[in-house]
Amino acid sequence: MQIFWISLSAAVAIAIPALATAWAQSRIGPAAAASLAEKPELSTTVIVMLAIPETMSILGFVVAMFIMLRAGG
Amino acid sequence: MIRTMRRIRVMGPRLELERTLRVLQDLGSVHLVSPPRLPALNPSPGSRREQRLVRQLRTLVTDAETACALLSVPSATPNAPMPEPPPWAASARQARRLRRTAERTRDRRQKLEEERALLGKYREMLDGFSGLFEAGHIPASVRAHHIILRPGQAAVVEPLRQALVEALDSAFELRIRTLSNGETALLLLVPLARTARVERLLAESGVQEVPLPAGYERATAAEALPRMRLRLQALPALIDEVESERKARAATAAALLPPMLAAAQDAISRLEAEGLAASTRSAFVIEGWVPASDLLKLGAALRERIGPEIALEELPPGSDAEAPVVLQNPRIFRPFQLLVEMLPLPTYGSIDPTPFVAVFFPVFFGLMLGDIGHGLLLLGLGLLLHRWSKPGKPLRSVAQIALICSAFTILFGLAFGEFFGDLGHRWFGLRPLVLGREEPRDIVAFLVLCVGIGGVHVLLGLVLGVINAFHGHKKQALGRGLSAVMIILIVVALLAAVRLLPRAILTPTVIALLVAFPVLVIAEGIVAPVELLATMGNILSYARIMALGTASVMLGVVTNRLAGAVGSVVVGAIFALLFHLVNFALGLFSPTVHALRLHYVEFFGRFYSPGGVRYRPFTHWRTH
Repeated sequence: MQIFWISLSAAVAIAIPALATAWAQSRIGPAAAASLAEKPELSTTVIVMLAIPETMSILGFVVAMFIMLRAGG
Repeated sequence: MIRTMRRIRVMGPRLELERTLRVLQDLGSVHLVSPPRLPALNPSPGSRREQRLVRQLRTLVTDAETACALLSVPSATPNAPMPEPPPWAASARQARRLRRTAERTRDRRQKLEEERALLGKYREMLDGFSGLFEAGHIPASVRAHHIILRPGQAAVVEPLRQALVEALDSAFELRIRTLSNGETALLLLVPLARTARVERLLAESGVQEVPLPAGYERATAAEALPRMRLRLQALPALIDEVESERKARAATAAALLPPMLAAAQDAISRLEAEGLAASTRSAFVIEGWVPASDLLKLGAALRERIGPEIALEELPPGSDAEAPVVLQNPRIFRPFQLLVEMLPLPTYGSIDPTPFVAVFFPVFFGLMLGDIGHGLLLLGLGLLLHRWSKPGKPLRSVAQIALICSAFTILFGLAFGEFFGDLGHRWFGLRPLVLGREEPRDIVAFLVLCVGIGGVHVLLGLVLGVINAFHGHKKQALGRGLSAVMIILIVVALLAAVRLLPRAILTPTVIALLVAFPVLVIAEGIVAPVELLATMGNILSYARIMALGTASVMLGVVTNRLAGAVGSVVVGAIFALLFHLVNFALGLFSPTVHALRLHYVEFFGRFYSPGGVRYRPFTHWRTH
């Protein structure tokens, strides 16, 4: 039973930030595409902007890893 | 580093202005700026004759470029001789003539190509009628409608016939044949006077006529087809003839247009430069920026080619914000200028981050990808790009960056003992030299290493920020310095708290923090604590190196295990190859984007001051 809760906790730790990242990127993506259509020179800024919300997923991944490691998984 | 620039002023007799500009253009090192605003000087508005000449030259350039594009002649020939041009009016006429000829040749070819495509399409359709209907000319009073019904549409034939009987009585003839591909061919002959009514009936029945191409409208399918075939056979030769004509014209244009284009562009640049000069009735003044190392050469060239009547004066720098920026770095760092130049240039007098990017970018990339197999693939890709690219072009820089990154990827691959995930371990017992990223016990060590590198990187950024701000905003420099000190103190306090450093230093460190904090607030304002927290967040953001690295190795391990679980060796090998390729593609993209982000957001955010003016020397067309 404990394994179930540990796995669930790790899954939630990565799933919620991943959903949040997806939502943020879904908002940034269209705006970025529109900006690029008018100013192609903004491509670098756009890539960085798209990479910014990924921090949430990455930190979620780190937390999930820690949950698994602390539980000896 | 940012190249040192000198502000210069060139003065001389007004009559020598054009010759002076030619010398400056040949040297190609002076970045011209707007005329000085002095009461005795008037900006040169350009005479009407000059304005007309600029318009004429622009038209010539448009004509020449269009002709070059249409005739497939390369317009950019930096080494093309640039003789003194003939009178511009004659050149403009020549360019216009060549453009019109090129357009006519293109139109003829397009028309022939279109005809070939059209006849080919009709022939396919009308082959269906071939042999089905009697040949014969249609009387002038009769109109032939050719209809092809798709399979399943044949049911409309009877209702159509009924509708025709009702509308035309017996004044029509409908011939039907089912074709081998399931389509149905219809030939409908009706009096010319009833055409409008018939077309309406066809539209109501939902069938579409296949209109014969222009020139064949009066013929039946059986009559038109042989004529179309003959024309189709003749068309390739006609197209070849037009192509030969284009090649002949291209040979003429290749000798004529590129030098003319270069000379016209140079003349336009000189006329525009004249607009940047200021003058009195008898003298002119030009101001600009020149790299410090080129200053002596410039003075010598002006004296030698024009004479002592031209004076070159070095001005006090004044506002550095106006100075153009040109990045100049050692050869090993130079490819990384591409990554810095993707952002607005740094302001003149600030720090060029290229050397730091050149050191940290490959390290971050290697830490994230860290796989011998992927490194070797990247090495191959880099060598290919290097072979395809030309020196000085962005693609060459990309190739060089790829080669450097591949070296770091292989190096870290050895340190982590990875070759396409755990394939190296399975095949030839490869072991990690430093830490194994797939080993749970080493993951924490890897995370600490990444965050530690992040701490060093961000601290370096803060130190550079202090140096940058020291010349202008002393208070800002103090604030940034204090932020750096506080981050060091926080790290020391944390390490002492977890007993990685002697516990005795914990209390003095905390006291130092408490003293530094109000000073930071005084120096940087109330936002300072928020900035400090953001900086700590930035350091933690380097955990992404560990996250992406671990994800990369896990994907490799999973691919190998899945491939091993497949029964067939061949299927397993294909599966592994495919997934390792996908992993490699992801491994190229993600580390690049995230290494860039760590630089642009976390590192540059501490010190980078964008807004530098790009150095655009007054030079010959496409030679800089």
